[in-house]
Amino acid sequence: MKRDGDRENLLMTAGPRWLWPVGWALMLLVGVWAMPVLEPGFRWLEPDARQVIYSRADFVSLLARHVFVVGIAAVVTISVGVLAGIAVTRQWGRDFLPLIGQLASLGQTFPPVAVLALAVPVLGFGTLPIIVALMLYGLLPVVRNTLAGLHDVDASLKQAALAMGMTSWQVLTRVELPLATPVILAGIRTSVTINIATAALGATVGASNLGDPIIAGIVNGNMAYVLQGALLIAFLALTVDSLFNALQQQLQIRLSAP
Amino acid sequence: MSLIDAFSSPNRQYGHINAVLICLSVGMLSAAWLLGVVSVAPNRIVAGTSYGLVTAIGWPGALLVSLLFVAVGGLAIKPSRLHYCAQLCIVTLTLLLMPFGLMVAGHWLIDPTLPQARLGIGAGYWVALFLLLLCLVELRLRLELSRLWTTLLLSSVGAAWLVCAALWLDNLALVQEFQARDKQFYRAMLQHVVLVSIAVSVSVVVGLILAMLMRRYQRLQRVAFALLNFLQTIPSLALFGLLLAPLAWLAANVPFLAQLGVSGIGTTPALIALIAYSLLPMVRNTYIALDEVDSNTLEAAKAMGMRPRQRFWQVRFPLALPILLEGVRITAVQAIGLTAVAALIGAGGLGTFIFQGLGQAAMDMVLLGALPILVLALIVDAGLGALADALRPGGHE
Repeated sequence: MKRDGDRENLLMTAGPRWLWPVGWALMLLVGVWAMPVLEPGFRWLEPDARQVIYSRADFVSLLARHVFVVGIAAVVTISVGVLAGIAVTRQWGRDFLPLIGQLASLGQTFPPVAVLALAVPVLGFGTLPIIVALMLYGLLPVVRNTLAGLHDVDASLKQAALAMGMTSWQVLTRVELPLATPVILAGIRTSVTINIATAALGATVGASNLGDPIIAGIVNGNMAYVLQGALLIAFLALTVDSLFNALQQQLQIRLSAP
Repeated sequence: MSLIDAFSSPNRQYGHINAVLICLSVGMLSAAWLLGVVSVAPNRIVAGTSYGLVTAIGWPGALLVSLLFVAVGGLAIKPSRLHYCAQLCIVTLTLLLMPFGLMVAGHWLIDPTLPQARLGIGAGYWVALFLLLLCLVELRLRLELSRLWTTLLLSSVGAAWLVCAALWLDNLALVQEFQARDKQFYRAMLQHVVLVSIAVSVSVVVGLILAMLMRRYQRLQRVAFALLNFLQTIPSLALFGLLLAPLAWLAANVPFLAQLGVSGIGTTPALIALIAYSLLPMVRNTYIALDEVDSNTLEAAKAMGMRPRQRFWQVRFPLALPILLEGVRITAVQAIGLTAVAALIGAGGLGTFIFQGLGQAAMDMVLLGALPILVLALIVDAGLGALADALRPGGHE
């Protein structure tokens, strides 16, 4: 009886879950394409400026570059981070577990700006140092959460799976990883959210992305530019974050479903 | 407290080969021999020429360094408590010797007739330093040393480095960069610390009040957490930007506010944004801390005849203090990083050096901003972590 009621509830809430990401994404796309339409509004903010709509590059390509940089970093981060987390929790990699665990939690102390700034002297200006800095920094939350997620899997469950005759590979892919997925996903969400923010700072080291209008606006004292860049970055971050939120809820429902 | 404490200890029986230290030793050796250790530049803008280990400190020095690194790896083949202690000594010794390597390299490579010439630290040097610190972490875990010991060890090494830098490392680029603007540096440091302290202390007070209100009004809890989560999601640069425009408009159109010091660029938007970001970790931890106090304990306090106010300040609050301090730690570390970004909107602080240095392509200036921020974050993290440990009822973990 109770379970049926639950399921009904879940069906009811299934719709609005995806409403937020879709809504924010729409705002983002409208912002990217229709910014010139809002020119009177920005003109009111900056009556004296020669130009009120950022035009050194169009917003579509700025957005595309931003997403590209964060996307590449995320793909590498997720694959390396999860693999590393799995490797150090196996019997043969256990020696490395204390060091990696300590490093992953200590690394959260490093401010992303400092990591970005330290990457430039080594790697030079442009898009590459940003991608590398994002990868290095984004790894930590993913590794940390993978370790925490795998650690939280009940040891007796693993034992039961082994006793049922599963190989250790099957235990990993059918028991440990599915149970650890929510925690790992939370780590990925943190990582990507931080990376979107840090990538925007990349505009100061010569990468052109949505951070560009903000920096240009601050340098030229043009608040309209600043506002355009800030709005678009905020929409992008909110879209991605709400997407992860929806994914997490979806996952929770699947895991708790009978 | 840290993640690692949650895991069962690894193979602690000695005699089992320690692959970690061997890997680190191999890594340090290859970094020292394959990458450039130092670089020499004729002035601050031109990129330097990079030099390897042998050219920098000569064959005797290179052999000494290699011997130290090999010893760290060699002792790990048959680990014992004695070996680990020996490795700890070797690692500390190497850390202490590293600035002397720079001195020797500076003496050999820098032409004394060029006053602008400067010695840069190369990739090999940085990587070896980083791996040495990892060795230290690993050894601390194996020997189960307390946090205090490692902190003492590292601070004495740091002090030795500072003395070397102040007395003998005049031609190091970082030192030159510092000497050229030491007053500016101290002022920026002070600004940074002041901004972080204001943001953290305001958010502690507001966080405590908000958390107490949330415990009373459930609806407020949901709304406030949703709002703070939303704020936290917005990237820092964007939030600074979003505050700039309205504040600039206010300052231009409301003279009274402009007199109060409100302006588009500067400290006001920085502080507002810093406090806004600091509230979420603060409120979340305060709420959880107050909520998680054992109800039996509170029941006992009630039975002993304590009044509600006494129960809160004498029982609930002291018991919640360690988790609350954990919140302060997270908030402070986050604020240190965000204040660096605030330099972009003219709030001052150490971030100024980062962004000025990036603008002038002067990498040593970037380091002058980034390294202190890193050290500051690590010190605050360690200090507040130790304080939370000390306040935990029942002593240390």
